[in-house]
Parts: sequence; C-alpha cells; structure tokens
Amino acid sequence: MTSYIVGYTIIGLIVAFIVFCILVRRQVIFAETPKVQKIFAHPLLFYSFRRLASGLISFLLAILVTFFLIRLAAPPDTTCDTLFANPHIDQMVYNLRCDNWKENMGFSGSTIQQLGKFFYSIIPVPKSLCITNIDTTLGMYTISSCRTFIFDFGRIYKLSGTADGSFVIDYMMPRMGVSFSIGILGVVVEMGLGYPFGILMARYQNGVFDRIGRAYIISVDAIPGIAYYYVWMAILCAWIGLPMRYTEGSFASWLPAILTIGFTGMASIGLWVRRYMLDQFNSDYVKFARSKGLSERRIMWIHILRNAIVPLIRTFPSAIIGALLGTYYIENIYNIPGIGQAVMIAINSSNTSLLSAVIIISALLSIISYILGDVLTAVADPRISLSKD
Amino acid sequence: MLTDEDENKELEASSLDTTSETSKTSSINSSTEAARNAKSVKDEELVIPEPRGREYRKYKRANRGKKKKKSVDVILDGKTFTEEDLFSTFESDPRKVNSVEASGTIEANLDDLFKVVGTNDENLEQLDSTPYSYWRLVFKELFRKPMVIVCLVILVLLILFAIFGPMIHFYDPLLYQGGVWTHGERFMDELRLNGGYLGPTKQFWFGLCGSNMGWFEGHDMWSCVVLGTRLSLLLGIVCALVEIVLGILIGAAWGYFRWLDPIMIEVRNFIYNIPELLFDILLMQFFSPYMNRYGFWIVVLVLSLFSWLSLASFVRNQIIIIRDREYNIASQTLGTKNWKMITHNLLPYLISVIVTTVSTAVPYAISAEVGLSYFNLSFQVTQGDMTLGQVLTAAVSGTAFLQHPYLLIGPLVVIVLLTVSFFYIGLALSDACDPKTHR
Repeated sequence: MTSYIVGYTIIGLIVAFIVFCILVRRQVIFAETPKVQKIFAHPLLFYSFRRLASGLISFLLAILVTFFLIRLAAPPDTTCDTLFANPHIDQMVYNLRCDNWKENMGFSGSTIQQLGKFFYSIIPVPKSLCITNIDTTLGMYTISSCRTFIFDFGRIYKLSGTADGSFVIDYMMPRMGVSFSIGILGVVVEMGLGYPFGILMARYQNGVFDRIGRAYIISVDAIPGIAYYYVWMAILCAWIGLPMRYTEGSFASWLPAILTIGFTGMASIGLWVRRYMLDQFNSDYVKFARSKGLSERRIMWIHILRNAIVPLIRTFPSAIIGALLGTYYIENIYNIPGIGQAVMIAINSSNTSLLSAVIIISALLSIISYILGDVLTAVADPRISLSKD
Repeated sequence: MLTDEDENKELEASSLDTTSETSKTSSINSSTEAARNAKSVKDEELVIPEPRGREYRKYKRANRGKKKKKSVDVILDGKTFTEEDLFSTFESDPRKVNSVEASGTIEANLDDLFKVVGTNDENLEQLDSTPYSYWRLVFKELFRKPMVIVCLVILVLLILFAIFGPMIHFYDPLLYQGGVWTHGERFMDELRLNGGYLGPTKQFWFGLCGSNMGWFEGHDMWSCVVLGTRLSLLLGIVCALVEIVLGILIGAAWGYFRWLDPIMIEVRNFIYNIPELLFDILLMQFFSPYMNRYGFWIVVLVLSLFSWLSLASFVRNQIIIIRDREYNIASQTLGTKNWKMITHNLLPYLISVIVTTVSTAVPYAISAEVGLSYFNLSFQVTQGDMTLGQVLTAAVSGTAFLQHPYLLIGPLVVIVLLTVSFFYIGLALSDACDPKTHR
C-alpha cells in the first residue's frame, strides 16, 4: 500500500510540475513575478520537455517493434516446447505448465490483449504483480508472492540459479550494479587516458606521437572487437598476470575488464579531441591570443581546450548512463555477472522477456542520455540560445 | 619553338664553340668578367668563379641544396634575362642549363637557336596542358603514400589467398556427403599424440585446430582460415554494396524531398536509440528456420538492416547544403525532373563520400559478422558455411589460446590485415577524393 502511495505521489508531482511550468509560461499565473518567470519559464526547461515528448515517440516505437519481433522471433508455442518439452511427462501436465507459463509471461489472450498487457506492464504506474504457480498433481493454479512494481518486465523460466517465474527485474538489478561499477571505472580510465591522448596528438600534430596515436585509432576502429579484446586479454592476463576470471570483491580481477574498456574507448575519445582541437587552431581568437604574446601552453590549455571540449560534453551522459548496461563482449570474456552476460544467457535459454527488458531499458536510457547531452551542451555553450518558442 | 635539329646545334654551340665570334652573336654571360662588363650584376656576392679548380668546388659545395636565386643575368640581343627566364627557356632539357653554367660564356647565333615554325589554326584551339581529370588526380594523390601501396599489396595478396589458397595447400574441412555437410579431413591422431594442440608444422602451416574448438577440432587451421576468408570477404563486399545502394537512395530522397525530413528524423532517432546488437539477435532468431537455405542473404539482411543510416544521413546533410545553390534553382526553374536533379546535379558532388564508404563498409561488415558469430547467431558450420568470425570465436573459446597462441595468431593475423588494409585505403581515399588536396 505504501509503495502505491509513494508511486502515485511521485507521478502526481511530476505531472503537477509540468502543468505549473506550462501555466507560468503562458502567463496564466505568476505573470507579474519575474523571479518565478525566470526559473519556471526557462527555455531550457521547455526544450527538455519537447525532447522528452519526441523521445517518447521513439520509445513507444521501440516497445511496439520489440513486442512484435519477440512474438515473431520466438513464437510462444515454440518457446514453450524448448522450455517444457520432456518425453517423460504427461501431455496434460505439459499443457498445464505451458498455459501457466503463457499466463505469467503475458502470452495468453488475443494479440490486442497481449499488447495492452505489455504496455500496461511498461508504463510507469505502480501495479501489483503476482506469480501463479501450477500444481501439476492436482491441476490447480496457486497464486504466490505478490509484489508492487513500477516497471514489470516479465518473468524468467528455466534458468539455473533462479526459481521458475521469478521477476526479470529482480534478476537484472544486482547485475546492473555489477555492470555499472565495472563500466563507470572503465569510463574513468577511458576519459583519463583519452583526453590527454587527444590533446597530445593535437599538440604535436604530425609528430611521432601523433602518428602512433593515429595508427592505434585506426587499428581499434578497424579490427573486430572480439579479436581486439582477446589480444588485450593475452597481454593483461598472460603477460602481466592479472586474474582472468571476475571474482566479487577482488579488485585485481576487475582490472582486465576495466583496462580493456578504457583502452578501447580511449581511441574514439582521442580521435574527437584531436579533431576538435585542430579545428580551433586556425580560428581568429587563437591567432589573436598568439599575437598578444601568450605562451603556447596557455593558448593550448586555456583557450583551445575549453572550446574543443564543448562538443564533447554531449557524450558524458551517454558514457555514464551506458555503463549501466555493461558491455556485451567484455562481460562475456571475463565472466562478469552483468547485463551483457545476461543477454548471452537470455539467448541461450530462450528467455525472451529478459531480452526485451534489456532492449526497453537500453532504449529508455539512451533517450534520457541524449536529452541530457543536449541540455548539457546548451548549458555549457553560450553560443546556443534557445528561443522562447 | 625548338626543333631537334636546332637543339643539337645549340648544344654544340654551347659546348664546343664557346669562343667563336660570328657577325650576329649574342653573348650569354655567366662569368664574372662578362657580368662586370655588362654592369648588370652589381652585387659582389653573385660572383661565380671559373668552372674549374678549388674555388669553383668550394662555391658548389656552399651552394649545394640552396634554391638558386637571381645569380646569373643573361644578356641576349641587348636584353637582360634573369636566370629564371633562362630556366623556363631551357626547361625541356636541363643539361643545357648545366652546360651554360659550366661553360661560362656562351655565344650562340640566334638564328641557330630559334626558328619560326609558323602558326597552325588547329593548334591554336588546343590546350597545351593536359585536361583536368578528377580520378587521375585522385589516384595520383592516393599512390603518393607508401602505406597505401603496402595496404593494396596486402589486400591483393589476401584476395589471391582466398581464391588460390586451396590450390596451394588444402585439407578440405567440409565435404558434402549424402545431402549434408560433414566433417572433412580431420587429423585426430596427430592431435591426440600432441596433447590436443599442434602448432605450425611443415604439414599444417597454421597448425591444427585444438581440442577446445568444438566442431573445428582436428582440422587444418590454414584450410579453415582460407574458407573463412573467402566467405567473410564476399560477405563484406556484398554488405558494403547493399549499404551504398540503400544509403544513397534513401539519403538522396531524404535530403531532396522536404516533406520526408520529419519522418526520417524520427526513424533515425528510433534506430539510434535501440541497441542494434539485440535487434540483430532477435532477427537472427526469427530467421533461424530459414538459415539452411538462405543463410548468406539472411546474414546480409541483418548486417545491413541499419548500417545504411550513417551514409544516408551524411548524404542528406550534404544535399541539404547544396540543394538550394543557384545552379540547382536554375535547373528547377528550367523544369528539370526531380530524379534528374538528384542524379545529375547532386550526387556527383558526393562521389568521394560514396567511394570512401565502400572501402570502410567492408571491414565494418566483417567485424559485425565476427560479433554475430560470437553470439553463435551467424552461419552454421554444419551447413557448409565458415567465416573468419566462426574460426576466431572457436579458437578463443576457453582459455587454451593463452597456452597455445598459434590458435589465435592464424585467424587473427588474417582478420587484422584484411580489415586494417581496407580501412586504411578507405581513409587515404577519402583524403585523396577531396579536390582541395589536388595540385
């Protein structure tokens, strides 16, 4: 009950805030208070609202496509076969289990009903969800473990380590934590290495460092990820002697994955930093600074870098939010129990609900990170002015 | 204009008859004496010593590598010519200039040097310089880089390797028997005797596929890599072609027709926001029943489903930039059809982008297939298809490759050479295609 109250209160507050902002902007209320006008009718706020609305369309499209693709890619009857078919059990028991599975997964009823259920499970309102179990000896359905959720991504069946019918979200949450802790450290490494890498390449353009750097960038871009990751694995684990398998709590075993993420991501960051900095080199303000007699170092670090970073600010939110979802290949290579590995498990065990949950969450997160990136750019770049309408 | 005969005469005059005095002479002076007489060279620094002896050698050494400036003035029929004029006159044969310098004073008959050949109306219409050819300059610029030539050689060798590899050395890993693809030649005894792994030998150039490699176990690695290179290369090229056709068609229409823009932007947002790999996974699952018959085309479809977007979006941006230029508005006013506008006025601008995309799309498609193989969603070896991705994925399964690096090295080297050389040529081509780099 409390979760219902909290959930609906949050939703109500968000709606009230949006309505309030629109009213202030239309000058229905607080028309005479410039302070309120300044904060709640800020163009940036309304730009974000507009982007959210357009992101919502993409999100709905993604949900629709996922819904149909899952039913096409893995028809419920076929999946039922792979999950429950067993020559030793009775056909009636099989049917009962299958029906129970369909009921729990939202595969029962007509397509329109299924679509309705699917949408309801994803829209962020609190809902109570129960798992129905089947007692095959009596042929009776029993309802157990009801819980309240904001999002419901379905259930998991026939997966080692989890009970049949347990919630996808329970399965994903701890994995998301692992993915995020590895991913965010990877982002720190890739930014910590990538920015100096790009700056040095731009500083000594066409020098030895620049040439080596460009060769590295080309190799990272051209060589297939898998091949590249295994080369790093050979270097980090076989030569340096870092542990090859992830173990919880041992930071040394995290290192190979973190460094692999860092060394890979560093290439693209370096490429863009170099490109944006070289763009600035010939601009008038740099020539002016030089003619004023400023030192090259000051021009480089204070004048050029600050301008070159502006277009890169857009990538910060997606890098950080993207860390939540982990990396598909690296997590599988180092056996990290994150979202990327969950995808592999979902494919191998025909748990399409898990797959669709990953798709929907990553679509949502990518929309949010795009919007945040745009807003951050608008905040950081004084040249971008958002018009009132 | 100098004819051959005149040239010979002039050469003789300069080399042998340096001191002859004829009635109508012109003196080409580069010696100190003559220069002082003509009073055209006032600067003492311009003094050139006699062309023999220690002094002259010293002068030569001091001036080595320096760009020759107006050090020599030439008086011809009372007119003063600078050395640059002299060079342009004798540009066709630099030996003459050397001989001028070497001989000191040259006195030659003007009539012997030049001969009026008359004018020709046809020649007047023709340009002496070769006409501008875009592609000739592109390739000239491209082949200036030694790395491009290295990459091209590697690429040609790899293509030859894919085509003729089986003729050089081959133990067919796949045999078609009784309507199914079966294990071809396997060398299980050799493998077992060597503890499951056998590195490169005289018989097996890349070694044998180790016991960690599942289906591949006991096959000759070289033969597997040859077959894999074949299919991967073909797949890459076909995917690149599909990408280009789709990218250009969609991008051109997207940029040209204004009403299409808002729709396509939503489509782009949608594609950017969904995780591509997961969609590929779902699609491959959907198509898995048909993999047996249409495997190749299904993989092409899945790989090129979204890959056209970046090219299309680039083409769209470029077309929006040039769409409203005057020449296009003029064409439109004259009633040119839309299709002709796109193909004649707009797309020729984008030829360089298109060429570059072809060469970078191939390695991207190969890489993408390797990614699908890793999730076991690509071709099935048991159905007679083998890609580099499958060989590599099998080779790195488990951690055996750390103890037996030959497992990784064979397929890895081929993949790296293939993708990097394609990619580097693509980058160099994109530079060379830029008309600003043409001189």
